[in-house]
Amino acid sequence: MSKKTAFWIFMIGTVFSAILFLGLTWDTHRQIVTLSHADKLSVDVVKGKRVFEKYNCNDCHTILGFGGYYAPDLTKVVQRVGEEGIRYRVKNPGKAFETSWRKMPNQKLSDEEIDHLVAFFTWVGNVDNGDWPPQDSKKRLTRSEERMVAGVGLSAGAAVFQTRGCMNCHSLHGTGGSFGPALDTIAQKLTREQIEHYVKDPKSVNPKALMPAQKELSDKELEEVAEFLANVK
Amino acid sequence: MEYRSQKIAYWYFAIALSLFTLQVIVGLWLAFNYFFTVPQSIVDKFPFATARAIHTNLLVLWMLLGFMGGTYYIVPEETGREIFSPRLAWFQLVALVVTGVVALVGFVFGWTQGRPLLEIPRPLDFVVVVGALIFLFNVGITMFKAKRWTAIQGTLLGGLLFLALLYLFGIPFYENEVIDWYYWWWVIHLWVEGAWELVTAAIFAFILIKITGVDRQVVEKWLYVEIGLFLFTGIAGTGHHYYWIGAPRYWLWVGGIFSALEPLPILLMLIDTMNHVKHRQIKIINPLTWTYAIGCAVLHMIGAGVWGFMHTLPQINYYTHGSQVTVSHGHLAFFGAYALLNLTVFYFAIPRIKGIEQYDARRGKVGFWTMVTAMTLMGLSFGIAGVVQAYVERVLGMGYMAAQSYMRLWMAVTFTLGLCFFVGVLITVTDLLTLRPARKVID
Repeated sequence: MSKKTAFWIFMIGTVFSAILFLGLTWDTHRQIVTLSHADKLSVDVVKGKRVFEKYNCNDCHTILGFGGYYAPDLTKVVQRVGEEGIRYRVKNPGKAFETSWRKMPNQKLSDEEIDHLVAFFTWVGNVDNGDWPPQDSKKRLTRSEERMVAGVGLSAGAAVFQTRGCMNCHSLHGTGGSFGPALDTIAQKLTREQIEHYVKDPKSVNPKALMPAQKELSDKELEEVAEFLANVK
Repeated sequence: MEYRSQKIAYWYFAIALSLFTLQVIVGLWLAFNYFFTVPQSIVDKFPFATARAIHTNLLVLWMLLGFMGGTYYIVPEETGREIFSPRLAWFQLVALVVTGVVALVGFVFGWTQGRPLLEIPRPLDFVVVVGALIFLFNVGITMFKAKRWTAIQGTLLGGLLFLALLYLFGIPFYENEVIDWYYWWWVIHLWVEGAWELVTAAIFAFILIKITGVDRQVVEKWLYVEIGLFLFTGIAGTGHHYYWIGAPRYWLWVGGIFSALEPLPILLMLIDTMNHVKHRQIKIINPLTWTYAIGCAVLHMIGAGVWGFMHTLPQINYYTHGSQVTVSHGHLAFFGAYALLNLTVFYFAIPRIKGIEQYDARRGKVGFWTMVTAMTLMGLSFGIAGVVQAYVERVLGMGYMAAQSYMRLWMAVTFTLGLCFFVGVLITVTDLLTLRPARKVID
C-alpha cells in the first residue's frame, strides 16, 4: 500500500461517515419533534430546565442517563416518586435524607422554581426514549413494583402508594423513605378501615402524629391504598 | 531542542502537571463521598456536584494545555522555523489559565452553566474561543509561512481546528433536553473519539519518528490509515450515545455497528507502534520515554478499546448506561489514551528543552508503574461496583440507595487505590519538574 492509497482510505472513510452522520442528524431533528413531544415544551418546562442547570443538579444526578452518578437518575422521577415527592425532597433534603448515609444539599429553591422543575421533569418523563431506565420501565410493572407485588399481590393501591408520595417517608421491604415508620407489617396492627381513617386525618387518631392529612388523595385512591396496605403482612 | 520558541512548551507542561495533581486530589474527595457519610452542613456548602465539576474541568484544562504545549514543541521542528509569535503563545497561556482559575473558583460560588463537563459559564466560553483562535492563528501562520507540509502537521492542525469548531456546539442554551444532549455529544464524543484522537495520532507519529528513526513515509502512511479509521468509526459511532435519549431507533444500529469497530484503529495504532519499535533505526537512549509510549498504546487499547466495546452494544448498554461501569471506562480510557499520551510528550520534550540527553529514570519508573497499576486496579474496582449497581438497581429493581449500599465496599477500595495513584502522580510530577541527567551514560 502506498501513502497515496492510505490518504484516500482516510478521505473516503471520513467523508462517508460524516455524510451518514449529518444525514441522520437532519432526520433525527425531524423525528425528535414527535419523540420528545416538543409541542408540550411550554414556557414553564424551559424555565424548569434553566433551574435544573442553575443549581447544577446534573453533576450529581443523571438525566436520560448522563451526568453525575452520585444520585438517582431523574428521567422518570415523576413516575417514580410523584410531584409531591420531588417537592418534598428539594424543599427539605435535610429531613428527607436524615437517615440516609448520602445527603442532598439544600439549595434553597423558591416555590416557583420548584414548580418549574416539576414541569421540566414531567416533560422529560414523557420523552419516548426506548423505555430507559430499566428500573422504571413500565413495559412490565416497574421492577420495584414487581418486587412489591410479589410480596402482597397486585392492586391499584400499590400504584397509589408508589406515586402519591407515601414512599417519601415510609418504606416497604426496604424501598422508600425512613422519616416515617416502615410499613412491612402494617396489616397485623391495623384494619383496612383504620388505615383509611388514619391516612385521611392522622391527628384525629394521634394528636402528636407528624404525618400530614392526605387531602390530595381522592376517596377512590384512599380506598385503594388502604386496601393495598391492609394486605401487607 | 533546536528552536528557541519551543521553550514555551515547558510552561504549558508545568501548569498542566500541577492541574493534574489538583484533579487527582479532588478525585479522592469524590471517591470518599461514595462510601463515607458527609454531614448535611458540609454538603450544603460544598456539594458533590461542585467537586465533580472541578474534577472534570481540571481534566479538560490540563489535557488541552498539554496538547497545546505539545503542539508548540512539535511545530517548529516539523516546519523548520520558529513559532510565528512566542508573545501570543504566552498571552494565550495566561488567558487560558486565568479563565480556568476564574471558572473553578466560580463553581464553588455556584457560577455555572450547569451542564456536565461544560460547566464553564457562557461569558467565559467566549474567552476560551478567543484563546483557541489565537492559538490556531499562531500555529497556522507558522505552518503556512513554512510551506513545508507534512501529514503530521496536517493532522495536527486539522485535529485542533475540529476541536475548536466542536466546542461551539456546547455554548448555546438548548430548550429541548433531547437536542441538548444530542449536541452535547458533538463536543464530548467527537472530541475524545474524533478531534483528540487526531491530535494524539499526530503527536504519537512525530514521537515515533524521532525516537525510532523509522522512515517518515512509513509512519505517515499508517497515520493516514489510523486517522481514517478513527474518523470512519468515530463520527458515526457517536450514535452509541443516542440509544436512550429520545432519538430515533436507528441509532441503536448505527451506534452499535460503528462503535463495535471503534477498537480497530486503536489496535492498529498498537500494532503499528510495536512494529516501529521492532524495526527501529536508532538506539534507545531513554527507555522510560519508551515505556510511556508503549504503556499509552496498550492502555489506550484496554481502556478505550476493550472497555468501551464492552458496554457499547445496546443490549448491554440498556443495563449499564449511566452507571459506575461508565465511570470505570471513563477513567481507564482518559488515563490510557490521553493522560499517558501527555506524559509521554512531557518525558520526550522536557529533557530536550532542558538540554538533558539521558535523564535519570529511576524515580520516573516508580511513578509510572505506581500510576499504571493503581489505575488499572481502579478501573476494575469501579467496574465491579458498576456491575453490582446494574444488577441490583436495574435488574432486581431494589432502589438506588440499596444498590449504593452494596457498592460501598468497592468504592472504598477505589478510594484506597486512588491514594496509591495519587502517590504515583506526586512521584511522576516531581520527577518531570526536576529531571536530572543520568549519572553514567550507558553505552
